[in-house]
Amino acid sequence: MQDVVNQVINTTFGWNWPSWAIALIGYLIVAVILFAIAPFQMLFLTLYERRAIARMQDRVGPNRVGPEGIFQPLADGVKIFTKEDIVPDAADHWVHFIAPCVVVAPTMFMFVVLPWGPGMVPVDLNIGLLFFFAISSVSAVGLLMAGWASSNKFALIGAMRAVAQMVSYEIPAVISLLALVLITGSLSIVDMISYQGGLFISSRDVASVPDWGLGWFIFTPVGFLAFVAFFIAALAEGERTPFDIPEADSEIVAGYMTEYSGMKFGLFYLAQYVLNFLLCAITSVIFFGGWQGPGVGWLYAQAITPVNPQGGWVFNVLAGVLGVVYFLSKTYFFFFVMVWIRGAFARLRIDQLMDFGWKFLIPLTLVNVISAAVWVALTKWGAADGLAFVEGWSPLVRWAVAFVVTLAMNLGAYLYLARIFAHSQAERERLDDEVLESLINVV
Amino acid sequence: MDIPRGNIIVMDRRRGKLRVGQGLIQGLKVVWDHWAGSFHKNENFSQIHGTFTVEYPDERLPLPQTYRNMPVLLYDDESGHELCTGCYQCQRICPPQVIHITQAKDPVTGKMVPAATEFIIEYDACMSCGFCAEVCPFDSIKMDHVYELSTADRVSLTMRKAQLNRPISYYASIAPDLWAEVQAGAMKKLQGSIKRRPDVIGLAAVLTEKIKARRLELAAAAAAAPAAAAPAPAAPAAPAAKLTPEEKAAKLAAMKATNANKGVAAPPAKAPVELSPADAKAAKLAAIKAANAAKQAGAAAPPAEVPAELPPTDAKAAKLAAIKAANAAKKAAEQGNSE
Repeated sequence: MQDVVNQVINTTFGWNWPSWAIALIGYLIVAVILFAIAPFQMLFLTLYERRAIARMQDRVGPNRVGPEGIFQPLADGVKIFTKEDIVPDAADHWVHFIAPCVVVAPTMFMFVVLPWGPGMVPVDLNIGLLFFFAISSVSAVGLLMAGWASSNKFALIGAMRAVAQMVSYEIPAVISLLALVLITGSLSIVDMISYQGGLFISSRDVASVPDWGLGWFIFTPVGFLAFVAFFIAALAEGERTPFDIPEADSEIVAGYMTEYSGMKFGLFYLAQYVLNFLLCAITSVIFFGGWQGPGVGWLYAQAITPVNPQGGWVFNVLAGVLGVVYFLSKTYFFFFVMVWIRGAFARLRIDQLMDFGWKFLIPLTLVNVISAAVWVALTKWGAADGLAFVEGWSPLVRWAVAFVVTLAMNLGAYLYLARIFAHSQAERERLDDEVLESLINVV
Repeated sequence: MDIPRGNIIVMDRRRGKLRVGQGLIQGLKVVWDHWAGSFHKNENFSQIHGTFTVEYPDERLPLPQTYRNMPVLLYDDESGHELCTGCYQCQRICPPQVIHITQAKDPVTGKMVPAATEFIIEYDACMSCGFCAEVCPFDSIKMDHVYELSTADRVSLTMRKAQLNRPISYYASIAPDLWAEVQAGAMKKLQGSIKRRPDVIGLAAVLTEKIKARRLELAAAAAAAPAAAAPAPAAPAAPAAKLTPEEKAAKLAAMKATNANKGVAAPPAKAPVELSPADAKAAKLAAIKAANAAKQAGAAAPPAEVPAELPPTDAKAAKLAAIKAANAAKKAAEQGNSE
């Protein structure tokens, strides 16, 4: 953005403004765009979810306000803004007031490192992925604040569940991403996207592969297992349905949101949907190449970039539009999958959630990290690192061997862990059945 | 399948054959099928996938005849005669006590007459139980089908008689079968009355002596002064100062009775097959009596006044008209008696 602003102000108009002013203007524009996009994403996603879940339940969904109901979120927004703000007498007023802000702010910060298209990233932090997940954990503090300040038992139970769930599921999420960080050797999200050029095989692993923007991590065994584990963990972190225990409305009213009304409740809602959008976005960025897709790489190569100042601006626009289209379609597809899962599955119990997270996902992702190490060793190491026997192989053979070895490792680990996990669950079920049997077989 | 009662049926869900994660995939498949199928609308309930939604303000389902929402009052289409007699049965049975009736009184004598000057139902508190329609002995209160009743304030849901009045034809259009039942019931009642007391159809036993005496009196009066002043005809619905509603109704009924008489009695061969001789006889009898009573009450209806655009001979209509005429005549006679 800064180079564009610099181009317009100093080259086109010739005003020769200082670089700090250019930087300030650039950041302001980006911040305004992002802060406008986040609520609009939330508005759109609420409608999207309601329409999609309605279809899954053989209904039509909200379609009265505007064509196909597109103004329904606006009507909802007006409603929620005009609602009375009720604070319980027993509440800790200041904490009750600040909690929604503490929940919303981190989700807004997460937009900082999210790349929307080629060259379209607000800040390319070299620790972008770390920043993303570190800042997302802050909202757990806000949730606990909300639950504690409400001085309501349901709110407190909900908040404690939320924190327990977020803390335990951040571990598999981060470990599954760690495997991919091992492969790319970088924590920068932009770097991770650029690694995923190629055609089913990343062109960084095998240089001869044509760059169609399809070298996604999902096509490798390491990436696939990481994707499955990460998406399940993302469902838990975004409090989506099989894991919506913190706000289980049939058990604890609305969890930590019980004592909130009006726009404060709206802020929690906003934070939740923005977080869901961001989790879908990061899934698509890290496992499905983000804006990578056929044509974007080629278009961006013709565009005006720091590397190529003689490009045509039309290619900037085309590459940007195509990249954003790819990125958003992947993101919305993952949101659809979230809705789909919500339509299909029932809520887990808290003990099942904890069992699944700690006893199944974490061991699986740990095995995946070892697989990633093997992958890196087989594709990148040489004699200097103590792997002299791979020196003679061609990159494609090395890639193929790495693929087969990691596939075997991951598949074996999955089958073994699934068997153990199913066995332990079956044992519990057997006990339940025994009790049931003794109850129903009364002559 | 033989299902013995009292036993627990264990469904075989083939759990053993599912591998790890297979059940989840099957669940997703079911939801996907519903989503993919939801883009077409279901024609009937044998189809599993597809939406059933009726988008209400744009399209509506037909209401069943027995649907009931709020009570309304019925009046006769042609004469404007209100069926309600102000008997207070509905007011007594109403569980939320939202019906308020004011009994009509004769302005001259101050005695009660079988009509209601005011009839109020508070729709806002009405619970749509339909008890009022069930108890009404004159089938004058019926349950309406209108359900879009929202208003800006509570007061506009307090319905007065003018807002409650609906023509019989309206009720017959929304619930034809129920109205046919009402007609059949009235006919049966009339037949029973004829069998029991062939001379005094539909009159209370205590009144018969009085009416006989009054008739004699009137006959004597008529013989003494043949030139009785014929009352000027007035609009049927408007409340007239000179003519009481009962007199008007009687006059109209007499007209109808004459018509009915002509239709049924004059060409007996024309009567439809399903009309039993007893029925025809009863109708004829009622019509004649009604005409006589009306004449005696001083509102003689010359045959020239018969409207020309009569519908073709309809035995049932004729019967109904006869019943109405009989009722009206009874009223007229009562009126004459009280005077």
